[in-house]
Amino acid sequence: MSGYLLKADDWVNKYGDMLYNYTLQRVSDKGVAEDIVQDTFLSAWRNRENYKAEASEKNWLFAICKNKIIDHYRKKSSSIIQYAEIDSTNNFFDEAEHWTQEAGPKNWGIDQDSTLERKEFYNILELCKQKLQEMQKSVFVMKYLEDLEAPEICKVLNISSSNYWVIIHRAKLQLRKCIEQNWLSI
Amino acid sequence: MSVLNISCKKATYLVSKKEQGKINIFDRIALKVHFKICDLCKRFEEQTVFIVKNAKHQETEEKLSEEVKTRIVEKIVEL
Repeated sequence: MSGYLLKADDWVNKYGDMLYNYTLQRVSDKGVAEDIVQDTFLSAWRNRENYKAEASEKNWLFAICKNKIIDHYRKKSSSIIQYAEIDSTNNFFDEAEHWTQEAGPKNWGIDQDSTLERKEFYNILELCKQKLQEMQKSVFVMKYLEDLEAPEICKVLNISSSNYWVIIHRAKLQLRKCIEQNWLSI
Repeated sequence: MSVLNISCKKATYLVSKKEQGKINIFDRIALKVHFKICDLCKRFEEQTVFIVKNAKHQETEEKLSEEVKTRIVEKIVEL
């Protein structure tokens, strides 16, 4: 029993914060992230007999965690009413479908070599990601943080392919705009 | 010429398709033509590519609280 306790304690201390940060970046909500990390450890523990040393212990835990995050998005998608999501990017373009003066992309002039500017950019990106509509956020995270392909994302979130393209595109329009508005140097 | 004459709204949508490698040859040409006359859409592409390239970067260093860690260990041992 004490051997178990030591092993469990060792695991949680070694990988807990790592998994937590990874999860938090993908689900934003601290309580949800804690639950996902807990579920990850519990699943891993139950299946520890099946663990093959081919993968490192860390990669194995992250793979389990990634599945838990996808499960979270799957469950959440059923509660999001997509039709209620208003197209907030519609007013980016005028009647001729050209950029409006207000919405047209401005020159960011980000100095990529400046650590401070990069740091600020990452913080703004995180803030703007959280401000996305739920479905946009789900699709964006699955595509660009979890690296899932479009067909798999459609399956998990139960959306059509054309829906996927509209949502991911609006997410980008929205993110870009939000970053620009929050970027101080412009 | 008219098929190649696309709006900014359409062009930005094609930028999103292109970024994921899902653009056909006609749209690719139309987009190229559009970029020649539209700096804003060109900029849209540069900026959104920059955004998705940096999407995975993790800036924050959060820690699980000791309470949560203890709770998880207890739950594991209960299994």
